[in-house]
Amino acid sequence: MVGLLLQILADALLLGGVYTLMAIGLSLAFGVTRIINFAHGDVVMYGAYGAFFAFAGLNIDPLLSLPMVAILGGIGGYLLFKMTLDRILNDISINQVLLTFGLGLVLQNVAVILWTGDERSTTPSYAFDSWLFSDDIVIAKGRVIAFVIAVLFVIMLLAWLRWSELGRATRAVSQNQAAASLMGINVRAMYGLSFALSSAFGAATGAIMSFLLPITPFMGFPIMVKAFAIIILGGMDSVIGTVLGAFFLAIAETAIAYLVPQGIGWAEGVAFFLMVLMLIARPAGILGTAGRDA
Amino acid sequence: MISWRSTYCVAALALAVAVVPSQAQETIKIGAPLALSGKFVSYGAAAKRGVEMAVDIYGGKAANKKIDVLFRDTQSDAQAAVNSFTQLLSEEKVNYLVGPIATPMAMAGLPAWRRTKALWVVPGATTPLLEEEAGKEPMMFHTFPYAYHYHISLAKILRERLGAGKTVAIIYSDDSYGREHLPYAQKYFAQEGFKIVAEELVRAGATDLNPVLAKIRRARPDILLGLVQTTDGITLAKQAFVQRLGVSYLVGTAYPQLKQWQDATAEAQESWLGVTTYIPGLKAKADPNYPKLFPDSDKWIAEFTKRYNREPEFIDVGAYVSTMMLLLAIDKAGGDNKEKVAEELKKLDVQTMIGRGHFAPTGNGTLNQAFSDVVVHQRVKGKDAILFPKEFETSKTVEQATYAK
Repeated sequence: MVGLLLQILADALLLGGVYTLMAIGLSLAFGVTRIINFAHGDVVMYGAYGAFFAFAGLNIDPLLSLPMVAILGGIGGYLLFKMTLDRILNDISINQVLLTFGLGLVLQNVAVILWTGDERSTTPSYAFDSWLFSDDIVIAKGRVIAFVIAVLFVIMLLAWLRWSELGRATRAVSQNQAAASLMGINVRAMYGLSFALSSAFGAATGAIMSFLLPITPFMGFPIMVKAFAIIILGGMDSVIGTVLGAFFLAIAETAIAYLVPQGIGWAEGVAFFLMVLMLIARPAGILGTAGRDA
Repeated sequence: MISWRSTYCVAALALAVAVVPSQAQETIKIGAPLALSGKFVSYGAAAKRGVEMAVDIYGGKAANKKIDVLFRDTQSDAQAAVNSFTQLLSEEKVNYLVGPIATPMAMAGLPAWRRTKALWVVPGATTPLLEEEAGKEPMMFHTFPYAYHYHISLAKILRERLGAGKTVAIIYSDDSYGREHLPYAQKYFAQEGFKIVAEELVRAGATDLNPVLAKIRRARPDILLGLVQTTDGITLAKQAFVQRLGVSYLVGTAYPQLKQWQDATAEAQESWLGVTTYIPGLKAKADPNYPKLFPDSDKWIAEFTKRYNREPEFIDVGAYVSTMMLLLAIDKAGGDNKEKVAEELKKLDVQTMIGRGHFAPTGNGTLNQAFSDVVVHQRVKGKDAILFPKEFETSKTVEQATYAK
């Protein structure tokens, strides 16, 4: 029984790391622009393909290609923002939602045309390795790597937001756009920067997902849905809240999957049940400030 | 008074009207509703290759009429599939359909098909829902094994090779694929004397299968049977390997034959068993009467590889063979008469790259079923060992999973 509990705890923590990766970029972009980017999952998908082609074509390990994939993702995200969202920032919010949704579909179909619907995956040796502590406790190395990178990302993002000039400007825009603008901060530039950073995180997440999940043009939507549930749980504009939401969801899902008969089939339901409960009880999420009035 | 110019115009118009239908009659339309985008795109793309290659090799004509294949994208979406079927059957008025491959798309098209009952060749749709709904229809020709054919062969070969008294754990997905396969796996494995010690549901597309695998490890089965589709098959194989599951024999359905599954699972693919209708290494001989249309498998693979710069997979071959049989039947019927073509199709008996091409009842409700024999294979050191049927057998032993050796 102790072994089982330890395995549940280990799986939940490691899954929490994966979920943090999925949601952190979405949370950052929403926190600043108040636009939910429904194409975020597709950015993750492009990151996964980037890591895959670096691995399959150039034999570069996904962990080594991750920085380049993130930079390219950031540039791509910025360009997408300038070419599309930047033009309708003052429109009603439903237009922005529809635009990002449409962008996601375009990105998905371009991927199908370019690379077909075939499933792919990077196959570095650590993706197939694990530590076996007893018959009950197995820790997958790939998940541990994802967890460590999630922790690093969170620390880097928090440090940037707290101590860098641009980070402080981003926080200022997130807290009060009008005041930030009066203080001489270029709000649109901060929007672009946050979208670029969000996409960089998304693409980097894709590089990690490339060895954890099958890569297909359709992998983005379920990731986006899960990330959406997480940021609602944790608070749409809070990095720490997103981390809490990710771990809260991972613990709930894992416990149900282990302890309830056929429980893994309920996992998605758990995510949405928690999301609905949170929207009713506390629309701002655990730590967020953007709620009904956002 | 009518001028000569007006008379010429009217005459020209009348001539054009008279000519258009006669030109239309020179063409025989075959509708091909296939998933050319969306999650089943790999199936649709493969089927399209097979259909195109068959028409091309046949010479683009049957019964002295040009064959016009109208591909329509079902977008892997039920509503779009309905539109594709409706457009092909009601607007284009096709008398023949080939496709789709995925069961949900075929089921979505069924009501539209019932309105005209065109001759429908289905080179896919493994779940027997289609059999229950339309198997008795004389104009439906199913050219792919049903799910129960998979489990009959798998259970039989595993019983033969592993002996009696073995235990099985089943993982099945919560989509129609897993749920449709489950009762047949239960039935035929039990019939062969296997004891099912665990049945675990997984959500299609799940990120984390560890909780299910942990439960299975505790049940200590001899065999793990994974009733999931390709994407989940990759996750299952990788996570079972990483978990060092301790189950001696790993059995899938159609996915272990797929190159994409093999590439994505790398070393985790070792020793997985699967079923298929076609696999590289299957040495089928040419049909003695139609050696150009159904050449020996090596020759056909070479031709396919030359055209598409890739190895064929089972749907490529299945769609090719199905279309080729339809074209032959149209030729033999001597024209665009679907009832006559159906009669000719029933009479056909050809030797193809995936076995004997001959329609017969299944015994479970389908009137016209061809290609119900499946090949059972196992991934051994990156290659396929063929365990069944006997005429293609390349190995007599079933290898244990790497970590179980």
